[in-house]
Amino acid sequence: MTSGPGKIAAYVVGALILLSLPYGISSYGLRVLDLSLISAIAVIGLCFAFGYAGLLHLGQAAFVGIGAYASALLAARFGLGFWVTMPCALVIAAIAAIIVGVPMLRLRGHYLALATVGLNVTTEIVAKNWESVTGGEDGLSAIPTIGIGAFRFDSDLRFFYLMLAMLAIVIAIGLAIRHSRFGRAMIAVRDDELACGASGVFALRTKVLAFTIAAVFGALSGALYAHYANYISPSDFDFVHSIAYLVMLIVGGETSMIGAIGGAILIGFAPEMLRFVGEAYLAVFGIGVIVILVLMPEGIVGTLSRLWRSRVARHV
Amino acid sequence: MLEFVQLLVNALAIGCIYAVIALSFEIAYEATGVVNFATGQLVTVGAFVGASAIAYGHGNMPVSYAMTIAAMAAVGLAFFVTVYLPLRGKSVVTIVIGTVAAGIAIQNVSQLVWGPLPAVVASPFGGRILHLSKTAIPFHSIFVIATAVILMGCIWLLLYRTPLGKQFRAVAQDPEVAMLMGIRVWRLHGVTWILVAVLAGIAGLLLSPIWFIDVSMGDALALDAFAAAVIGGFGSIPGAICGGVLVGLCEILGAAYISSAYKDALVFLLMIGFLLLRPQGIFGERIGDRG
Repeated sequence: MTSGPGKIAAYVVGALILLSLPYGISSYGLRVLDLSLISAIAVIGLCFAFGYAGLLHLGQAAFVGIGAYASALLAARFGLGFWVTMPCALVIAAIAAIIVGVPMLRLRGHYLALATVGLNVTTEIVAKNWESVTGGEDGLSAIPTIGIGAFRFDSDLRFFYLMLAMLAIVIAIGLAIRHSRFGRAMIAVRDDELACGASGVFALRTKVLAFTIAAVFGALSGALYAHYANYISPSDFDFVHSIAYLVMLIVGGETSMIGAIGGAILIGFAPEMLRFVGEAYLAVFGIGVIVILVLMPEGIVGTLSRLWRSRVARHV
Repeated sequence: MLEFVQLLVNALAIGCIYAVIALSFEIAYEATGVVNFATGQLVTVGAFVGASAIAYGHGNMPVSYAMTIAAMAAVGLAFFVTVYLPLRGKSVVTIVIGTVAAGIAIQNVSQLVWGPLPAVVASPFGGRILHLSKTAIPFHSIFVIATAVILMGCIWLLLYRTPLGKQFRAVAQDPEVAMLMGIRVWRLHGVTWILVAVLAGIAGLLLSPIWFIDVSMGDALALDAFAAAVIGGFGSIPGAICGGVLVGLCEILGAAYISSAYKDALVFLLMIGFLLLRPQGIFGERIGDRG
């Protein structure tokens, strides 16, 4: 990655593209865009667990679900506003992540992957069967929209700008963590766990931290989703969604937060772009993912920036 | 008590099917290093190909079963060419996502071919039931247990008593050295994927008369089989059987005596318990890399 002015310029260009996105797309497209940006926050979280700390995390949707249910239930039971329920939801998700993370993150590679799949499926089972609290398969409805004072983010356009602000905050926090001691520790753990232990970085503690950051961002995404869609059900947070988040991250480039947003938008719009294939959508999607994995191992953002750099290098 | 015996036989039958799926998963991992997240979907394909073959076979079960196994061998070869070869040598995560994506595609194609409705398939033994004193045991359950045990025995003989098995184990240990020793690693990997798909297909065939089969059952099956593999110990054939039976018992008895809604969560807890307390599984793992 380039550093200094190049990087800032990239962020400015990215922000300008995002700001102008709602113009020239249909109202339905705007809704898809909002949902993609909500997913993007969960994907940025995954960037910490998977991209930086290298944890094969296939259960991010579980934490998105925990955030969504916690925020929705607090709003329904106690009549609290989003700005109270959302932080509570983040704390609940963080506690959940620490409780399951401490035992589970001792596992590596595909064992961790299997355990996180199990976590996702178990959360889904609980959401489906704990009917007195979660409403079971019927889910929870009439979740209030987000507002500040008398102003409500009740249209897709208003919510879009709320999401931009949220994403800016998330990326600022994300970059701060990434460039802190903890961020460097995560990357060190990913690259060589043994050497980390030898140089005084507690691998397990660092992994739990990365896992918890992923969970907190996931829960934020879930809380935003609950109050945007006004309705949640267990199937919104199933294993397929966890895979979708990971695919978004990999398509964007595993260690790039801007890439995460790009990947989320691209995969979010994939059903629209592939509408012409009709019922074979998932087959085409699956094959497309394999093709991207094989042809662009660095993700779309990584591949584009490599092409861009080689062009620049040729002209200099 | 009578009910308990019937549940036990049922659990053993289901457990044996999980063991066969677990073995398919483990052979893929041991021989080619691929964690195959499309295992469940391969079982689904086996179940539905079997259902179609039985429907067209007009009750000639051996022919229908043979046709299904041949078809699954072709599926395995196709999987080898279209999924394994492109993903070969990539990082673990690329392979995981790649096989998950392959599973999604296979499931979607299955739905296009066979439709979303569940199907029920006849057993080669019809609905015949064995009455032992007062317990009623379906013939099919006995057939499943016998087939699975014989199949596992054959696989064991193949791996440990034939030259081909020796090559398999050599490639599992170190593909490069195996290649230097003159083993045709490529061809062996092709054979591996055929075996993987055939095992999954047999599991599907055995399963289809017990459950309603539907095209989205793959992930749930795969999770139970993964749990069986972890519990029994990766790469061990007796381990796969023990793990499968334990998962079957946990599920069936858990559903009967604790809660049918939470039976899958019970299996997950059992697996996590094993991962934490005995990570190498009941029968241990020869090459320990799970930390």
